[in-house]
Amino acid sequence: MTQATNTDVIVQRDRRIGWLLLLPALLLLIAVFAFPIGRAFWQSFYTQNLGTELQPQFSGLENYGRMMQDGRFWQTLGNTTVFTVVSVLLEFVLGLAIALVLNQAFRGRNIVRTIAILPWALPTALIALAWAWIFNDQYGVVNDLLRRVGLIDQGINWLGNPNLAMMAVIIADVWKTTPFISILLLAGLQSIPDDLYEAHRIDGATPWQSFQRITLPLLMPQIVIALVFRFAQSFGIFDLIAVMTGGGPGGATETVSLYIYATVMRYLDFGYGAALVVVTFLLLVLAVAIAAFFLNRSRAKTSAAP
Amino acid sequence: MMLFKKLLRHNSSQWQVHLRSRSLRVWIAALIGCLTCFLVLLPVFSQQPVEIRFLMLAPETPLFAPLIEEFERENPDIRIRMVEGPNATNLVEDLYTSALLLGSSPYDLINLDVVWTAKFAAAGWLMDLSDRATPQELAQHLETSIEAGRYQDKLYRIPWRTDAGVLFYRKDLLQEAGLQQPQTFTDLLEVSKTLQQKTGVDWGYLWQGRQYEGVAAMFVEVLSGFGGYWINPETLEVGLDQPEAINAVNFLRGTVRQGVSPGGVTTYQEEEVRRLFQSGGAAFMRNWPYAIPLLNSEESAVRNKVGIRPMLSMPGGQPGSCLGGWGWGILSSTPHPEEAWRVLQYFTSERVQRINALKGYLPSLRSLYEDPEILAEFPHYAEMAQVFEKTVLRPSIAQYAQASDILQRYLSAVFSGRMAPEDAMQTAASETRSLLGRLSSAQEARG
Repeated sequence: MTQATNTDVIVQRDRRIGWLLLLPALLLLIAVFAFPIGRAFWQSFYTQNLGTELQPQFSGLENYGRMMQDGRFWQTLGNTTVFTVVSVLLEFVLGLAIALVLNQAFRGRNIVRTIAILPWALPTALIALAWAWIFNDQYGVVNDLLRRVGLIDQGINWLGNPNLAMMAVIIADVWKTTPFISILLLAGLQSIPDDLYEAHRIDGATPWQSFQRITLPLLMPQIVIALVFRFAQSFGIFDLIAVMTGGGPGGATETVSLYIYATVMRYLDFGYGAALVVVTFLLLVLAVAIAAFFLNRSRAKTSAAP
Repeated sequence: MMLFKKLLRHNSSQWQVHLRSRSLRVWIAALIGCLTCFLVLLPVFSQQPVEIRFLMLAPETPLFAPLIEEFERENPDIRIRMVEGPNATNLVEDLYTSALLLGSSPYDLINLDVVWTAKFAAAGWLMDLSDRATPQELAQHLETSIEAGRYQDKLYRIPWRTDAGVLFYRKDLLQEAGLQQPQTFTDLLEVSKTLQQKTGVDWGYLWQGRQYEGVAAMFVEVLSGFGGYWINPETLEVGLDQPEAINAVNFLRGTVRQGVSPGGVTTYQEEEVRRLFQSGGAAFMRNWPYAIPLLNSEESAVRNKVGIRPMLSMPGGQPGSCLGGWGWGILSSTPHPEEAWRVLQYFTSERVQRINALKGYLPSLRSLYEDPEILAEFPHYAEMAQVFEKTVLRPSIAQYAQASDILQRYLSAVFSGRMAPEDAMQTAASETRSLLGRLSSAQEARG
């Protein structure tokens, strides 16, 4: 009996110390996450802009009602979704391919690995400027190459056409962030023991079968991390597009972050800006939750299968 | 508690022991005397200089450093702290905005772009200068450059440099083809086509068509030329869906459709346009005067072949160059309005504008456009004086940034072929109306 209560006391004390040790981290989280997010929620129920001389005025759900009618918001949301889905998928496929190549033993592998990270290490604003010139219709490299090959004789106006402009910013983003995915996946690949592949081969499996049965399931944690990271990052894309197209032409590449930035910093419309932040935040959380759910299920399935 | 009391008692008894010694008493008296000297007497005789602070675009800090030195020499009671900001107008605006949003700004003065004035004034961040500046002083400046500093009949900004859109043309090509300068927009298209055929120049007319502030500046000029208007700042009427505005859009779209302008103009800002023109790729260009020295530099293919003239117009329209430029305002949060005003007066004075004019910054004082020394250095100032006689302003409304974004989006939608001009301009007009209506109804609800 006494022994049991003793351990209870010890367990309790341990727990208390545990909470105490966690406290600074919790306070920090509240200060940097819960507080600003809560404040945005609160602010979104107020009208606070140049019309109210920047004083908050309670207006209930008015900001949300305005958002429903705001064509620009829906357009930016659509643009952001297209940009995110296409760029993350392309980056994933290319990143996985590059990781598989870099995982092989070949001469000069270290140099190639270093070169492969370079785009990720460069500042985004800088490469955005470079890509804007690459896609320039008069002097751009892309048009020059196409002209030399003989595919076109008049320069294509890449950044002036809504669809081509979206394509151009996606290409620039894929170039820039594929290395991030490939480095993450490469780390995962290196943690898979070679014996597994050897045993599988001896059992008569083809390389494709090994890829499906060993590589993909064992790489799943890294894939999930890479995709969730990239998804969240890509959904908030700002600098690349701000420099390359400024959201143009005609708002065809404007993303939600660009719109929020303009609403808050340039229009000084804080209440509406807060409402935009809240809706985007909820959508992002929802999307990540759905993605995590499906990935978890598929992981459970693959690990259940022999 | 007990322990503390004990300590205190011990200490005080020790003090008493020390105070009894005479030399210490003398020392304390001397010390108190010195402190009184420092704290009370010194400030009376030598005033602590007041510090006046502002943020400046990085490339303009070298221009102001010697001026500040001179001012401080003559005004020992004021120190000026110039903080070097980034080299991008919008980033400097953001820095000021975030500093001002926090309530107490670290700055006293602000160097304002023309289109900032209304917003900063409406937010209550600028001090009303109407009573400080005399009408005689203001009359010496170009009229529209003062007008641009007003918001709802109060003056918030006094200019120190101006800017206005200019039409650049190739003198040599016109001469070669035996043609006169165009006077209307229709002329411009015709002359361009002839020049393209006769002289083999690649393009006729270059303008800024990217979705950004520059497209709004370019468009108010065409709009004025066709006799239309964007927003009337007094009545808040919107004219974007009027026939004149639609004609203006059709003209711009036509330049690309008729092969006079390259399709890329719809993605160009000033620099892309300037480079193409400077390499000899076009006969006409709409740009700002900053391009003049660059076009006449050693490495330019069009050196000394370029003329400038005011904007064009159509019958029934008014030629108008979009007014740009910078001016000084005083932040309402400053604790030193008097000193800030003295610095402002110096920075906008004839003496300073003259020094800046000789470095290529177009002044806002009219007299300097007739100054022989300046004209000898920059002959184009004489032509610029003509340009400044016919300027148009972008509407001076608090929500300018938002209204401009609406216009930019729909212009860009037309230029990129996404929308027909009528549809786009109607949507732009109705969005602008609902923006202006929403804000005025919020104002009414308030009071």
